[in-house]
Amino acid sequence: MANKPQETLQFTKKPYIEDIGPRKIKSIQFSMFSESDIYKAAEVEVYRGVYYDQFKKPHENGLLDPRMGPPNKFSFCATCHGSFTDCPGHYGYLTLALLYIISFFFVYFFEQSCSRVLLLEKERVEFLKKMRNSRIEPLKKSEILKLMVKRCNGMASGRKAVKCSRCGYINGMVKKAIGILGVIHDRSKIIDDSLEECRSAISHTTESRASINMPPILNPDRVLSLFKNMLDEDCELLYLSDRPENLIVRNIAVPPLAIRPSVFVDGGTQSNESDITERLKRIIQANASLQQELSETISTSKSLAGWADLQMEVAQYINSDVRGVPFHMQAAKPLSGFVQRLKGKQGRFRGNLSGKRVEYTGRTVISPDPNLKITEVAIPILMARTLTYPERVSHHNIEKLRQCVRNGPDKYPGARFIRNTDGNLLSLMFSYRKRLADDLKFGDIVDRHLEDGDIVLFNRQPSLHRMSIMCHRARIMPWRTLRFNESVCNPYNADFDGDEMNMHVPQTEEARTEALMLMGVQNNLCTPKNGEILVASTQDFLTSSFLITRKDTFYDRASFSLICSYMGDGMDLVNLPTPALIKPIELWTGKQLFNVLLRPDANMRVYLNLSVREKNYSKSGETMCPNDGFVYFRNSELICGQLGKATLGNGNKDGLYSVLLRDYNAHAAAACMNRLAKLSARWIGNHGFSIGIDDVQPGGRLNENKSARILEGYGKCDELIQSYNKGMLKLQPGCDAAQTLEAQITGVLNNIRETTAKVCMDELHWRNSPLIMSQCGSKGSPINISQMIACVGQQSVGGRRAPNGFIDRSLPHFPRKSKTPDAKGFVANSFYSGLTATEFFFHTMGGREGLVDTAVKTADTGYMSRRLIKALEDLSIQYDNTVRNASGCIVQFVYGDDGMDPSQMEGKGGVPLNFERLLLKVKATCPPGEQKSSSPSEILELSNEGLSKYDTTPDGGCSDAFKESLSEFIQECSRRLKRTRKALKLDDEQVEGENCNILENVAQNISGVTSRQLQVFSEICISRYHLKRIESGTAIGAIGAQSIGEPGTQMTLKTFHFAGVASMNVTLGVPRIKEIINAAKKISTPIITATLECDDNLKSARMVKGRVEKTVLGEVAKSVRIVITSRSASIVVTLDMERIQASQLCINAQIVKEKILQSKIKLKEQHIKVLDARKLEIIPTGDKSKLHFELHSLKNKLPTVVVKGTNTVERAVINKTKKDNKEQYNLLVEGTGLQAVMGTEGIDGCKTTSNHIMEVRQVIGIEAARKCIIEEIKYTMASHGMTIDIRHMMLLADLMTFKGEVLGITRHGIQKMKDSVLMLASFEKTADHLFNASVNGRDDKIEGVSECIIMGIPMQIGTGILKVRQRVENAQQLSYGLDPIIQ
Amino acid sequence: MVETLLEDIFRVERVDPDGKKFDRVSRIEAVSEQLDMHMQLDVNTEIYPLHVGEKFMMVLASTLNLDGTPDSGYYTQGGRKSLADKFEYVMHGKLYRISDASGPNVKVEMCVSFAGLLMLLKGDPTTVAQKFELDQRLFILIRKV
Repeated sequence: MANKPQETLQFTKKPYIEDIGPRKIKSIQFSMFSESDIYKAAEVEVYRGVYYDQFKKPHENGLLDPRMGPPNKFSFCATCHGSFTDCPGHYGYLTLALLYIISFFFVYFFEQSCSRVLLLEKERVEFLKKMRNSRIEPLKKSEILKLMVKRCNGMASGRKAVKCSRCGYINGMVKKAIGILGVIHDRSKIIDDSLEECRSAISHTTESRASINMPPILNPDRVLSLFKNMLDEDCELLYLSDRPENLIVRNIAVPPLAIRPSVFVDGGTQSNESDITERLKRIIQANASLQQELSETISTSKSLAGWADLQMEVAQYINSDVRGVPFHMQAAKPLSGFVQRLKGKQGRFRGNLSGKRVEYTGRTVISPDPNLKITEVAIPILMARTLTYPERVSHHNIEKLRQCVRNGPDKYPGARFIRNTDGNLLSLMFSYRKRLADDLKFGDIVDRHLEDGDIVLFNRQPSLHRMSIMCHRARIMPWRTLRFNESVCNPYNADFDGDEMNMHVPQTEEARTEALMLMGVQNNLCTPKNGEILVASTQDFLTSSFLITRKDTFYDRASFSLICSYMGDGMDLVNLPTPALIKPIELWTGKQLFNVLLRPDANMRVYLNLSVREKNYSKSGETMCPNDGFVYFRNSELICGQLGKATLGNGNKDGLYSVLLRDYNAHAAAACMNRLAKLSARWIGNHGFSIGIDDVQPGGRLNENKSARILEGYGKCDELIQSYNKGMLKLQPGCDAAQTLEAQITGVLNNIRETTAKVCMDELHWRNSPLIMSQCGSKGSPINISQMIACVGQQSVGGRRAPNGFIDRSLPHFPRKSKTPDAKGFVANSFYSGLTATEFFFHTMGGREGLVDTAVKTADTGYMSRRLIKALEDLSIQYDNTVRNASGCIVQFVYGDDGMDPSQMEGKGGVPLNFERLLLKVKATCPPGEQKSSSPSEILELSNEGLSKYDTTPDGGCSDAFKESLSEFIQECSRRLKRTRKALKLDDEQVEGENCNILENVAQNISGVTSRQLQVFSEICISRYHLKRIESGTAIGAIGAQSIGEPGTQMTLKTFHFAGVASMNVTLGVPRIKEIINAAKKISTPIITATLECDDNLKSARMVKGRVEKTVLGEVAKSVRIVITSRSASIVVTLDMERIQASQLCINAQIVKEKILQSKIKLKEQHIKVLDARKLEIIPTGDKSKLHFELHSLKNKLPTVVVKGTNTVERAVINKTKKDNKEQYNLLVEGTGLQAVMGTEGIDGCKTTSNHIMEVRQVIGIEAARKCIIEEIKYTMASHGMTIDIRHMMLLADLMTFKGEVLGITRHGIQKMKDSVLMLASFEKTADHLFNASVNGRDDKIEGVSECIIMGIPMQIGTGILKVRQRVENAQQLSYGLDPIIQ
Repeated sequence: MVETLLEDIFRVERVDPDGKKFDRVSRIEAVSEQLDMHMQLDVNTEIYPLHVGEKFMMVLASTLNLDGTPDSGYYTQGGRKSLADKFEYVMHGKLYRISDASGPNVKVEMCVSFAGLLMLLKGDPTTVAQKFELDQRLFILIRKV
């Protein structure tokens, strides 16, 4: 075999080989490896469980036989003569002495003698027909199989014996053997002649005393023969793609050495073998001993034990976690099997195939730099020298690249390698760089260092949404940190307390372009979660803007000019505005600085119009707000208002940057952010802003005020406690006295903190730094200030006051059963004044809960996000505007009902446009001039005319909702003008022509709209609406999953919340989202919201409540007595009619009788006698001896009989709501039983719903369930103050319901949604999916996202949705010369 | 001579009706003597103190140039003769809002912002809103009498 590798034939002329381009994987077929396949694939038989001989040469036919590949770097492969790096490895094989059975699963359903499926012929044919349906999906097939299994199981493992309908053989019970891997066919319980026969046959032998059992374990030969006899038709029935014999292993493929490397340790004295190799060794050993046993003994029982050992070894080789390993066989150290290599986070699927290690990356600590643009990132020179970009030499860059080459890899603008056109790679490490630089030719590729303006991807983990990885332009800077503008902290959720971030350098022009266009910071200013702006000014920028725009900041010409030059490094053209104060001295205000910032010179055509209510807005007076809290920009001039977070910060839809972004473009907004960052960083450096101890010292008045409030609160609490002790406390609905007391005291104490916070905000000097920060929204809340200065407030643990850690008290410092504020964790001191020992202890209790919550939450939400992503990852918008998954299934016909992009929505609640603001802008930017205003009726006419010009039908791309809202808005405009004219006492319609009246003029100025303005308005509306359509190919599924998953991490684990009524709790937060997404069958707080038919009457509401609520006999009975007379014994139940009347129930003895008969107590009609309307007598039956016991047991059971209401309902609460100053009532029902509640008299079933999705699905249907999912997610998110575009929730709900049943986003649900094996394997239960796929012979078309990533193929989403296809038909024939006049 | 848009004498009724919110700026409420107008005006009281009861003459003009050439809105070096010479306190701003005030009589409100220092003039439509239009550049000239 020592032949050299074959030399390829040398031709003088290269033979023609058709270039078919790179091959692509289209699909993967899973199947079972048969015995002959293994023989064919193998190069060598392995039967010796040894590694190396004394010369460190691997043994022939050993586990490291060199024919399976080189065992280490120093040797070569004996099969292909490749080196360690070249040889792909070759298989070996290993023959087992006895068979190994892979799966016992199918054994269960066989008839044990004739190998047919244990079904009746009729059933069998029916199932087969279903299975053979060509249009059926694999998923459906497995479901049918499951059904069939159930059917068979009922027959085979049932207690009774089954007689085969074909051959008459009686099957025993087939069950899993205990202790060993195997299956028992137990026929011992079958009564037939065979056992008797056997007994009589062996009765004369000596062992007759021993229990006589048929050998119960099905041995491999038997199984093999069973399988062999199976009909092909039955295979099909069992969804087997191949013959079942393949499930029985006769030989094992020994994997090549490449996947089980052998490493020398201890300087080459010993070798360290891979787990797989060691497992194989054990198999060989077990095999050898079994072989010996087989050859020595004839007794099958002994070899059976050896076989079980082998079976176990092979099982562990595949899956080392297999159950039922006997103790003596467990290895000393855990050796992992193949399944362990594949599964889990670090396994092959998730660790190596779905996510890979990459080159051209960097990671280091981050720090802020306001002098950088928001699109830039500063990269240390050190990093820039290591990271390279392959730039192709061209006419334009040859000189630059020559210099780089000359500099070499160590001097900064240098290069590392040159790649010639003929493919040679030249390193620049050595000294011939100068020559290489001179030799540089066009077309060479130089791996040069990173330089300014290069494109890098910047990322911070955890990457919860797509803005966690964005594309920046590099700026090479000295020092050692990655730096970026603080405005970009938000999307990454980064701070600078030691965070590190990652950086990747795309290596091709294509990748660079895509990164810049799709992931550029400028193109991701808004979050697709709800369209709010995410990249915006933060922290110090807000503080300085707030201080600059104070009403009383004035600058003289010198300082104003200086600050103007701050914002553009003095390089921008600035037109100085006229000073606000001209006399006595020329002074500019801070607000004028913002005018300059928005529009530095007169030629810039940015006209910003917006109005925002800031935090300190006094709620009246609009622009004239005394606190200057109403921000109004008109044509890029700041009219009034002190800027804060609402205007400049993130999470806003009509802030300054949002408006700039929508009305102009991303560049305008980004430029503004850059200017503000520079301005405020420099300004605040000069101005100075810090915090000291005097900032948190309370003044005298504040102290007095605070102690007064606390005393007052304590007094109230004492009163409450006293009245509680006396039992005089007025109970709240649905609460007992202790709960009421708790609720009221908590209310009082929370109120103390709030009022002290308010006092703080009022009393502090305006120059107080914490106050400034909280007012402008840059950091801190009034509560934080109050905690530092005045009062820390009530500490809570689990949503309650501090619990009792000792007997009846929280700490031994307090008397028992003390309920005073102090004893239950109220901290009256401030952080400044210092906490007492007990206060400190309570504070740490609260603090710990917070810490634990965060730790638990991250794991929970992380898993939730992962599941959401896996379920939604392949949904995308197609060119026909439908939302489909990878296999082409339609999930939505139009995305979100209108096909709009959620990241571009301007209005509140996800509507495309904010008409009010748009009209304001149109009015401001196109002044009426000479044109007359239109009259109200003209407005309507014009609008109809104007709109009819555009195609506003759904086909033209306008949703009905949009059309309606637009026309409604224009009507409102006309109404407004009408009102104004009425107020000015003008005629309704008439607009005077020449002799223009003053009033007419005024009316026009107030709310007039000219026809031109109206035209421009409708034009902008329509054209902008069209631009907001979602693009085809958008991976809307992934975006939706992130949009729902990401807010989860911010949700505090606060679970409970009052649903309108005190004492009625609803689960909220992450647990609730989890319930909804999992489509849980049992939820923790099911609540039915029922609308009453008569909803303004408390009395009728009470009646309905009584009907719904569960009432047991014990509650309405005055007495349940045993009456024993001399002649008979009975139980007499007397109803408490007054009580029944009072609670508006209609119960009488007759009804009670019926209910008792319906209940579980076994009584018959004749045993119950109705004495009168309020009394009934129950005479038990039975014999006299047990009578006494029976009476007593009846007496105990009777009070629990439900006489009224629904059994599943815990309780019902009447909820009072106010609507249009009218009191309305509805019913909140705790518990399930929607159908029963809907059917209850007095309840409007059409308007009754539940928060239990599965129940809604059952009772009302799948569409209702979809609606319910949307509403519940929306409600949960809203109660945590989070707004998420409804389109994301719609998509999730649609995905969960589009199969016709509610599928949870769990491993069971996802399994039913997707049909890709690889995708499922990379999610959960890796091995199970792979095994099933090969048994079923599944075919995985590589179309989904996960599969494409695993196979390394571009996916059919986003820019991958389009394929360029060349038309190959002949070009159209052109005719020359003149056209003939006559055809 | 340049034509002014509005001239009247006002009397300061109140200073800081909502409490003093800013160190250097106060909001004054004043009532006119001739045209029955009500005015709220933010004044930099640090450099031009005004007290309750004081009377001042207020003029609104669209330009300070004596020849009546319109104002550009951008800074011009001072030192020229202008309308401001006769007054003590001059501000420059923009008319941003005209609205109808609620009430039994027809009144019109006119809002001017002098780069953040606001003025609200409430009065009869004929007097207040006659010569004004939105986005007009205005100068307020004040002289104590």
